[in-house]
Order: sequence, then structure tokens, then C-alpha cells
Amino acid sequence: MKENENNLEKAVKALKNSKVPHGPSKDLTDSTLTKLNQVSEQSDKKEWTKQVVLSKRFKLINISFKIAAAVIFLIAIGYTAGRISAPKPLDMEQVQTALEPAIREKLLEEVTQYLQLGITSSYVQIREELTEQYQQDLRQAALEILTASGTITNRLLQDLIYSIETAQFQERRRTVAALEQIELNRLEDKGRLGNALFTFAAQTEEELDRTQQNMALIAKILSDRQSDSLIQNELENSNN
Amino acid sequence: MQVIDWQIIIKEHGSTVWNTAYRLLGNSADAADCFQETFICALKVCESQKVRNFSALLTRLATTRAIDQLRRRFRREQKSLILDEGYVSSGLDPAKCAQQQELAARLQKALAQLPLQEAQVFCLRYLNDMSYRRIAKELNIKTNAVGVLLHRAREKLRNSFSSLSNQQKSEVVL
Repeated sequence: MKENENNLEKAVKALKNSKVPHGPSKDLTDSTLTKLNQVSEQSDKKEWTKQVVLSKRFKLINISFKIAAAVIFLIAIGYTAGRISAPKPLDMEQVQTALEPAIREKLLEEVTQYLQLGITSSYVQIREELTEQYQQDLRQAALEILTASGTITNRLLQDLIYSIETAQFQERRRTVAALEQIELNRLEDKGRLGNALFTFAAQTEEELDRTQQNMALIAKILSDRQSDSLIQNELENSNN
Repeated sequence: MQVIDWQIIIKEHGSTVWNTAYRLLGNSADAADCFQETFICALKVCESQKVRNFSALLTRLATTRAIDQLRRRFRREQKSLILDEGYVSSGLDPAKCAQQQELAARLQKALAQLPLQEAQVFCLRYLNDMSYRRIAKELNIKTNAVGVLLHRAREKLRNSFSSLSNQQKSEVVL
């Protein structure tokens, strides 16, 4: 069974791979084309003949035999004349050449319309999508800017607070130093003033003592002079 | 009606039709007849229906015509005469070449004995590498039916190969 299967496979392979001479030859191609044209013409003729026979049958039904014969005669004459004067069967290439521009134009028009419709619809869709995307981007950008500006403001405020505190601290230090200097000066002045007052008091005391002594001296002198004047007065009175 | 430039069609698909015909028939005269018949048949098909895939149609028609011719040939029992005329040397060593020719000839004989549709399906599948779906479309049958026909064809071919080998063995014994 397996052997037969193998044989079959081999046979298929052999048949498939069997060398085929290059073909078809040009003669064969030409003769095939000629034959195709002949067959095509024959089939055209057959169709035409069928139509004529049908039309004759229709006329026979309605008109009498003699008239029909005349008609057939006339048809025969017409047919013969027609056959003689009829144009040759259409050449496929001529038909193609004649029809191609019109078909191409129509196709182009249809394709253009179709593309325009497609482009219009896609344009509207793309515009909407872009608008939405744009708004979304704007919102996101605004949010990011707000966040960034908030962060920067906070940092600047922190810097400002820090510098103010530093300035206040330095100011306080300077004030304390000034107060200490004032206190030192005060203490120094106080000492100096105390000394001066002490000296002043001592000098005043001495001066007062001297003044007292002078006053006592003056008083003695005065009392001495008074007693001398009284004695003089009395002497004068007594002289008078 | 479809406007077809047969010159272009022959130029494009002529070689495929030729190869299909020659492979099955094995000689130029029969292949040429088959070639012409195929295109005339294709013209008739085009008059009655619109053809989209010329390659597939022409392959199917060529296969059918070639199988018909094979069947006629084998009925007349002229196979050996005609085959001896047509085979081309494939460049292999003579023994192998002869073996392959014999196998191919056997297959041709077996194909000629098959029912037409089975032979068609077998050739389209194994000689022309068509897919099941394509074959089904071309032969106007269901895809499952293609599988069934192919199975039957293989079975029959296998049997015919076994009977041939038995015959040969008995000849050798005698």
C-alpha cells in the first residue's frame, strides 16, 4: 500500500517535472488567433440569421400568404442588399479604440466623484479629530504651565522669606550690638559722672567751708565795724 | 458582452495552457490541438458569461481537453506509439529518465481510466497546484466535494498502480 503511494507520488513528481518544450510556437499562436476570429465571426452570423428568421415568422402570422411571399421577397432583396452593403464585422481593436476614451472618461469621472466624496468625509472627520486633539493638547499644556508656574512661585516665595528672615536676623544682631555699645558707653559715662560729681562735691564742700569761714570772717569784721561805728556815733553824739 | 483582446490573453496565458496540455499529452501535435480547442472553448465561455480569472479558466479547460484526448487515445490503444514520439530528454541519466518516463506514462494511463471529474480535480490539484477553493469555484462544486473527489482519485490511482506492478511481477516470473 505504502509502496503504491510512493509510486503514485513519484509518478506525479515525474509528470510534473517532465520537461516541456518551449511553447506555444508563433505559428500555433497565429493559427489559434485566426481560428478564434473565425469562430467569433460565425457566432455573430448565427445570431443575425436567427433574428431574420424570427422577424419573418412574425410577419407570416399577420399577413396573407401572397403578401407574405412578397414581403419575403422584399426581405430577401433587402437582406441581400444589406449583406452586400453591410459593413464588415467590427474589429475588436476598433471597438476597443472607439470605446476606450469614453469608458476611461466615465471611469475617471466616477473615480473622481468617489474620491471627492471620500476626501470630503475624511476631511470633516480629520478636522474634528484635529480640533479635539488640539484642545486636549492646549488643556494639557495649560495644566503643565500652571503646575510649573506654581512650583516656581513657591520657590521664589521661599527664597524671599528666607532673605527677609536673614535680613531681620542681621538687623537684630546689629541692634543688639548697638544696644550693648550704648550700655557700655552709659556705664562708662556713669562712672565718669560719678567721679566728676564726687570731685565736684568735694570741691563744693571745700568751697562751702571756705565760704563759711569767709562769712564768719566777714561777720566778725562786720560786727567789729558796727561796734566801731556805734562808738563813733556815740562819740559824735556826744560831741554834738 | 465582454470585450477581450485574445492576442494579449494568448500572450499572457499561452505558456500555462501549453505546459498543462503538453505535460498530460506528452507530444507537440496533441498539445497544439488541445491548445486551440482550449482557446475556442474559452471564447464560447466568454460569450455566455463574464470571466474574471482567465488563468484558472484556461487551466481548467486545458486540463479537461487534455484528459479527454488522453481518454480517446487510450481507447484507441495508440498510447505507446504517440508517447514514443513526444518525450523530451530531461538531461538526467538514461536509466532514471526512462524510469520517470515510465512512471509518467503509467500515471497518464491511470488518469485516462479515471472518471473525468476525478481526473480533473487530481490534475488541477497536483499538476497545477490549485487550491481546493479555486478548484471548487472552477468546477462549480463544493470545497468538500473537491476533497472527496481527490480522495477517490488517489485511491483509484493507487489501485491501478498496484495492479500494474502485479502485472509486471507476473510478467517477470513468466
